[in-house]
Amino acid sequence: MAEPIVQIRELTKLYAQGEIQVTALDRVSLDIAPGEFLSLMGPSGSGKSTLLHIIAGVDRPTSGVCLVQGVDVTKLNESQLADWRNHNVGFIFQTFNLIPVLTAAENVELPLLLTQMGRAQRRRQVATALELVGLADRAKHLPRQLSGGQEQRVAIARALVTDPALIVADEPTGNLDSHSAHEVLGVLQLLRQEAGKTVIMVTHDPKAAAFGTRQIHLEKGELLP
Amino acid sequence: MLHFSIVTLPTFILKNALRNKRRALLSVSSVAVSLFLLVTLQVALRELTLPPPSAGAELRVAVRNKISLTNLLPARQRTVIEKIPGVAAVSPFTWFGGRYQNEEGMSFAQFAMDPAKLQSVFGEAKMNLDGYEKFAAARDACVLGKITADKYHLKVGDSMTLASTVYPGSLTFHIAGIYSGTPDDRNMLFRQDYLDESIGQPGYVGMWWLKVKCADDMAPVIKAINAAFANTSAEVRAESERNFQLGFISMLGNVKALIASISTVVVFTLVLVSASTMSMAVRERFRELAILKALGFRRRELFAFILAESFGLAVAGALLGIGGAYSLYTFGDIGKMTQGIFVSFEVTPRIMGLAGLVAVLLGVVSALAPSLSVARMSVVDGLKTLD
Repeated sequence: MAEPIVQIRELTKLYAQGEIQVTALDRVSLDIAPGEFLSLMGPSGSGKSTLLHIIAGVDRPTSGVCLVQGVDVTKLNESQLADWRNHNVGFIFQTFNLIPVLTAAENVELPLLLTQMGRAQRRRQVATALELVGLADRAKHLPRQLSGGQEQRVAIARALVTDPALIVADEPTGNLDSHSAHEVLGVLQLLRQEAGKTVIMVTHDPKAAAFGTRQIHLEKGELLP
Repeated sequence: MLHFSIVTLPTFILKNALRNKRRALLSVSSVAVSLFLLVTLQVALRELTLPPPSAGAELRVAVRNKISLTNLLPARQRTVIEKIPGVAAVSPFTWFGGRYQNEEGMSFAQFAMDPAKLQSVFGEAKMNLDGYEKFAAARDACVLGKITADKYHLKVGDSMTLASTVYPGSLTFHIAGIYSGTPDDRNMLFRQDYLDESIGQPGYVGMWWLKVKCADDMAPVIKAINAAFANTSAEVRAESERNFQLGFISMLGNVKALIASISTVVVFTLVLVSASTMSMAVRERFRELAILKALGFRRRELFAFILAESFGLAVAGALLGIGGAYSLYTFGDIGKMTQGIFVSFEVTPRIMGLAGLVAVLLGVVSALAPSLSVARMSVVDGLKTLD
């Protein structure tokens, strides 16, 4: 069996909410294999987004280990984490979060501004990413000129333009109608199947979760068996 | 191959800055207007405290009553002064305080002097030869500065009547010539003997202006004049033209402190307005900045974005404000604009540099608070503001 792309051991995250301490994650251990499409499910406040954020290197655990491609992301400093995220993780958010003043192509290109890539190569990468999500003909459109589903597909193109091994998606279909949601999930599935990406998706929706190769459930910060 | 534009950091910053065009326009305008005002105040301060030196000023000496400028001097002092070695020419200079055309205030000054000494003492006044000859020939002749002549549409040959606020009655003058080329072409000069005759030969003059032969004579002549009238009933204070001007300016009171205070208030208000605008602009984009952080942008890059945007708005305002002030005061008619209060209004490189420095500091200071809040923001907290 291949080495897991994500190895989580005894991961705990405690929040202070006023004077009350809330346990968001309680000694969670988890392995995720390369090329897996993991659906992370659970009710609100179960800790699924917190787990996703720690894996993606935007949040830090209180204790435990989180190895992603062999790197313990809990040990990286702020600047190293930023650099690591840029090269290794693609983010997809529920509310798309495209920059409204930039075109679809420019939004997709944003993560590449941090690389040493030349203009021609950047242009090629952006074109490839947009073609992959079926929006090559919308490159010059501003976000407000796109439908919700198209915006989310642009966000997916932005997530994969740096060719990261890991794609994390936080409720990517939460703001979409069923048709657009189906399209977006199809693209994520395609990324796993055709490009070998590992996808971790947080969702409430059992239909969306069914697109994954594995489903896990979190409740009160603990993984359900 | 797809054809679409590729974003660069400068275009990204520019697009962000112009995202809310109305706010960007208002920000740039507020910076521009404030810097225009700052430049105007600084130039006014400079003009008030440092009037432009006139040609020949380095050889000119003012002699006034030691008690005050309003105390007169005996006319007999002239012969004493003329005999002091190094003195080239001496002329009386007596304030008339006349009002023209029943005006409330005095829009130009009038002085009585010796017409024969006009060229030798105030040689920078340019006038045709005919004007000098007429001035010397007719007792009621006067010469008028070009600004005043233009203001009242007066020309050579016209007569003008002035009611004195110092002496009883009015005097009527005939314009012999119109001069220009002095730092302040507003004054009217007429003959001391005409004034003496009209007020009954009192034997007093307002003050003396004299020209020394060379720069080396300045100090000895000043010393000799002061010594010559020491312990007399009319002790004098002789001083260089520059010192005389500075002494005159000190009578204006603490204008410098007043203008400095207004300038400080302008700059302080400008900083508050700009900092508030930048904070508002960044607060609106908090979610996007969190996304950029999540995509891998570091604190320093986000700080650079905010700084560049803030700096860009400040510089655009500076170009408009400082450039506008420079253009207006360099190419405009300052005499007309200020109703003759200022005859020159030079926007010096130092003043432009000062205003530019204020703009630069403004750009940096305005970016500090929003940058700090963005730096402190964790990606998760930023993302929480999304939904």
